[in-house]
Amino acid sequence: MKWAASLRASKIRTGIAVLSLLVLAVSLAGSFEPAATLARWHHLARTLGGNARPEGEATGFWFDPDYAAFLADVKKRTPANATVAVIVPFRPDLYRYQAYYQLAPRRAVEDRWKDEAAFIATYRTDAGRGPGGTPIVNGQLWTR
Amino acid sequence: MTLVVAFARALLGLLTAFGAGVAMSRAFTGGLTRREKAAWSLSTGLLVQALCLLVLLALRVTPRALNLLCLEAVVAGAVLMFGRRQAGVGVREESLKVSGWVRAFVVGLAVLAVIAWLVFLVGALSDAMWATDFIAFWGYKGKVIFLSSGVPRRLFEDPALYFAHREYPLLVPVSLAALASFVGEWNDQALAILYPACALATLLALSGFLERRVSRLAGAVAAALASLCFFLYRPGNAGTAEVPFALGLVLVCCAAADAMRPEAGTNAANVARLAVAGLFCACLKQEGTLFAFLVAAAMWWSLRRAPARRRRLGVAALVIPPSLHWAALYLLRGNQTRRDFDMTLFEPRRWLDLPPLIALVLGRMLGTEARQSAVALAAIAAYLFMTRRGILDPFIPVFAAQLACYAVAFSVSSFDPMYAVDGAFRRIVMTLFPAFALVLGARVGTFGAAYRVPEWDHQSSEPEAIPDAGESSSLFSRRAGGPHGAGMTGKIRKWIAS
Repeated sequence: MKWAASLRASKIRTGIAVLSLLVLAVSLAGSFEPAATLARWHHLARTLGGNARPEGEATGFWFDPDYAAFLADVKKRTPANATVAVIVPFRPDLYRYQAYYQLAPRRAVEDRWKDEAAFIATYRTDAGRGPGGTPIVNGQLWTR
Repeated sequence: MTLVVAFARALLGLLTAFGAGVAMSRAFTGGLTRREKAAWSLSTGLLVQALCLLVLLALRVTPRALNLLCLEAVVAGAVLMFGRRQAGVGVREESLKVSGWVRAFVVGLAVLAVIAWLVFLVGALSDAMWATDFIAFWGYKGKVIFLSSGVPRRLFEDPALYFAHREYPLLVPVSLAALASFVGEWNDQALAILYPACALATLLALSGFLERRVSRLAGAVAAALASLCFFLYRPGNAGTAEVPFALGLVLVCCAAADAMRPEAGTNAANVARLAVAGLFCACLKQEGTLFAFLVAAAMWWSLRRAPARRRRLGVAALVIPPSLHWAALYLLRGNQTRRDFDMTLFEPRRWLDLPPLIALVLGRMLGTEARQSAVALAAIAAYLFMTRRGILDPFIPVFAAQLACYAVAFSVSSFDPMYAVDGAFRRIVMTLFPAFALVLGARVGTFGAAYRVPEWDHQSSEPEAIPDAGESSSLFSRRAGGPHGAGMTGKIRKWIAS
């Protein structure tokens, strides 16, 4: 009856192994967000239908929806090969990253490299209150 | 341009890459399953497309859809005309025979994987890519390359781009720029199509490889497990290198596992797959080079009784392409300081600072990440304990070593190591999961099986006489009840299978 015992042991091992896989699968699937997925589906359907939402409402501007319009205006007013210093709130760092990304291929730099810039754009910082700048959407722009 | 048109053009770009990849990979994917071929075609095609874009940029030709299409067609045509097709060794041709309930279970798992993939597809395409890493460097570099029609030196030299990881490989940015050339504009929503495509290729590679080497059920289990990894396949990872990198890791493991088969010998197709997978991994992320080197070390150890030429060839195929890539990148970008790491910690005068830092990082990993994933880790441990050795088991130390390297890297982080662990550890580790699913899936073939250690015997005149444990003794394997099922164990297996 050695083979019968071996068979039972084998079945038990297989059962535990299958159970382990099930637990692992359930654990992995724990990050699934059905409500968010449904919302994304609706949003995708809307945008494919031609109803694009304003850029400020995009997830990338979760930290400050007004910032998108500011960057879009800076982009409109500066040539593609310009160096633009962006003086923006320091936190979160997405302020700077979005500026570099949205203004590309312009060379966007921080405050400390503003001497190299042909334009200085300020957004919600004390520097934005200085004289001489041109008011733009949600900020000011200086041409040097 | 409407979003639908942008998506259609991006898809055309992907299909062009895929087509070029089909032509190129035809030389070394003979005998693989169709799903594996599709995965190899996409990865090879992405490499070819990136290279074509760089050629156009070097020639100062503005990359457009037509330019890229023509160049890739020329490359594909030349390869088809002059290339030689070579089948991999050890590919089985017999049809699969599985019982009805196993077939139904496989179909169920496949449906589950497709649904999970669709969830990722919707998530990735529903919004413009927004991950911080995408905005700060992957997407930023791609956008600069596309809009400047070149690779400006400032990407590597501008001190203002101190945050942009100038030392990182460029396949993701260049691939995004190539797709943007097809779209005709930088549309960061349409370009996201790259990510579901890579996820799909990963699932296809997993299921195809394990079906060929172990069983159909093993492939379906691994693909379903990987597809459920929603922490990796989530909208926040669209735009980063994680999802393509997971594909690269899977391909490296598949290629290495094929090359380690006793009957593989020095087959050129196997060696080519190793080289392509290693290069693909290295071009995506820095740790891709590390993974390729670790897999090469595992191969070196596993093939220790194999002929020296075969061992050297296999390892060289995995090590040389990533090294050449590193050298080429070094020439392009120059010597870059690694701002992420405080390398002075490796100097002898600071060696004593290291152990407390490593202990701190390990404590954090165990105290937060491991604790949160305790159930999943316990399930993996139980599964590994209850199942027999599989054909991918030689790679388990590779995953452990990769994790150890991550721990050391976090310990020497220039920033707060705790912040680095909390912010990046789980994301980085999850990229390993699809490749690890190969290890788990390979053990499905050993359920209820008698234990037998796979062993290389280079003196054997009949390689099939020394099969892998995951193949020879599999309850659900395509050879269940076959010639290796002799003796009492074989009878028991036949009885269970019936």
